[in-house]
Amino acid sequence: MTDGILFRSMTDIILKVEKLTKTYGDKEVVKGISFEVKKGETFGILGPNGAGKTTTLEMIEALRPIDGGTVTLDGIIVSDNPQAVKEIIGIQLQSSAFYDRLTLVEQLQMFASFYGSKINAMELLKEVELTEKAKSRVEQMSGGQKQRFSIASALVNKPKVLFLDEPTTGLDPQARRHLWDLIRNIKKQGITVILTTHYLEEAEMLCDRVAIMDDGKIIALDSPKNLIKDLLKRGFKKAQHVEQASLEDVFIDLTGKGLREA
Amino acid sequence: MKQYFSTIWIFCGVLTKRYFRDPVALFFTLVFPVIFLLIFGAMSRSNSVSFNVVLTNHSETAFATQFVDQIKENKVFKVKDVKSFDEAEEKMGRGELDSIIELPQSFGQPDASGVSSGKVVVYYQESKPDTGQTVASVMQRVLDGINAELVPNADPLSVEQKATKTTDLTRFDYTVAGIVGFSLMSLAIFGMANGFPSDKKSGALRRLRATPLRASQLILATAIEYLFIGLLTVIVMFAVATLLFDFNMRGSYLTLTIFTLIGTFSLFGFGMAIGGWAKNENQSAPLSNLVAFPMMFLTGVFFPVYLMPQWLQNISHFLPLTPIIDGIRMIITENASLFTLGPQLLIIGAWTVIIYSVAFKVFRWE
Repeated sequence: MTDGILFRSMTDIILKVEKLTKTYGDKEVVKGISFEVKKGETFGILGPNGAGKTTTLEMIEALRPIDGGTVTLDGIIVSDNPQAVKEIIGIQLQSSAFYDRLTLVEQLQMFASFYGSKINAMELLKEVELTEKAKSRVEQMSGGQKQRFSIASALVNKPKVLFLDEPTTGLDPQARRHLWDLIRNIKKQGITVILTTHYLEEAEMLCDRVAIMDDGKIIALDSPKNLIKDLLKRGFKKAQHVEQASLEDVFIDLTGKGLREA
Repeated sequence: MKQYFSTIWIFCGVLTKRYFRDPVALFFTLVFPVIFLLIFGAMSRSNSVSFNVVLTNHSETAFATQFVDQIKENKVFKVKDVKSFDEAEEKMGRGELDSIIELPQSFGQPDASGVSSGKVVVYYQESKPDTGQTVASVMQRVLDGINAELVPNADPLSVEQKATKTTDLTRFDYTVAGIVGFSLMSLAIFGMANGFPSDKKSGALRRLRATPLRASQLILATAIEYLFIGLLTVIVMFAVATLLFDFNMRGSYLTLTIFTLIGTFSLFGFGMAIGGWAKNENQSAPLSNLVAFPMMFLTGVFFPVYLMPQWLQNISHFLPLTPIIDGIRMIITENASLFTLGPQLLIIGAWTVIIYSVAFKVFRWE
């Protein structure tokens, strides 16, 4: 599938967030935000720490009660039917873990059973390039492998929307690039991906559109290209001339793209 | 509905697999109850009462020597060695000795008619007159025996003693129910109540929560997992009991298995409720103790219930562990059927409903 086909219709909205709010004590951490995500799109939520990204995501995922506003996911109102929402989404959480003392295959079969579905665990592991680790346990894997496995576990139910909360935080440049490829492949299958990240070049490379959050509000929402264009239109100039290559390019050039994993 | 239970079944299989890969947990489930069984089994093994005594013989007569030998052979007495009478007295004061038996120098000297005579002095703690009397009366019997040998004219009147053994059951057969009950309670309340909090801490439950898995499915799958483990513990314990102690089983093993599974399932509700509610081990540990200790001391595992005041006995009957221990004991010693165990099953059933409702209600994922 190509992007052209996916964006054929503007009414193909899979996620609609309206005036969403969340308050902890007397602190409002999400302040009535609204946005829409189209089917098949890769949508990024950016923002500094404490901007409310994770809280927003967790309300959409039915993991956190919604204080105000409405979230509609694939026609289901999340607050009315959280269980139905969980059936059709896949979630990779920022701070979660897997049971120890279970092999990857056992884990995936267990997750599949939660959705009442049977899966070909090996096929799924192949998709995230962990075939060789099928009999290993999660506690024996590297950070990048864990993250890839985490995504595999979020795909067992063939979700309509995949949520990734800071998927590349803490990974080395090689592992991060590897994960980008994986996310692109998932997008190609027609799965809508909603991700948060601190790395702006990551958002630029992966996302069709991004929402920039600060202090519980969305302060900008557009495609990365348009956001940059807008900024330049307003007469923005970088203080220094940008080199054609970055230090990361140097790093990758010297160390190669191959994954560094045992 | 069908999917609800098939998920529980598959999940339970995974959890059980995981449990058997944890050597520490396995040790505590299988080895610990056996150690417990060995200790309590050994304690309840001896059927007879015995006294620790010191023998001080000042006499050199053959009669005295014979007497000392007989006392040493007598199972009622355990003869200890001490250096001096003072030391013996001091030990008696500490309760290490029950009695001091002294044979005076004149003991066993033939009297005018040629018959050996003399008096045995039995010292005992003033505060324990029962002990003194018992030791003295046993002593009298030994003396009578020797007298009868020396002077073979039978007493015209005598009492014949015969021990009765109507049941063939040992004290161990009664104790084993308490040991099994206690082990299952430990597994439920200490083992299980820590599982959930540690999975919360690691973030594993957080990940499960992101799926359609329901809290009740997690709780039931874990309960069934522990049911397997509990059953295994019970099998190991009865195997050890049969091999090492002359354990007599009067009832049916099928009844025992079914009853134990029902009882164990109900006990596990307590572990679930505690572990499901607690956010971390700091919360679950004191709560576990709070629930476990009254049951440990009020259900007859360590102290006989009849020693408690009446009001406490009344409470004891309705504690969740009591009907389980009573039932197991009745199956073992009286060949009770599930039908006879109706009252016990009723209390267990009531607790099961209550505690699982609580467990479902108070469960927290994080």
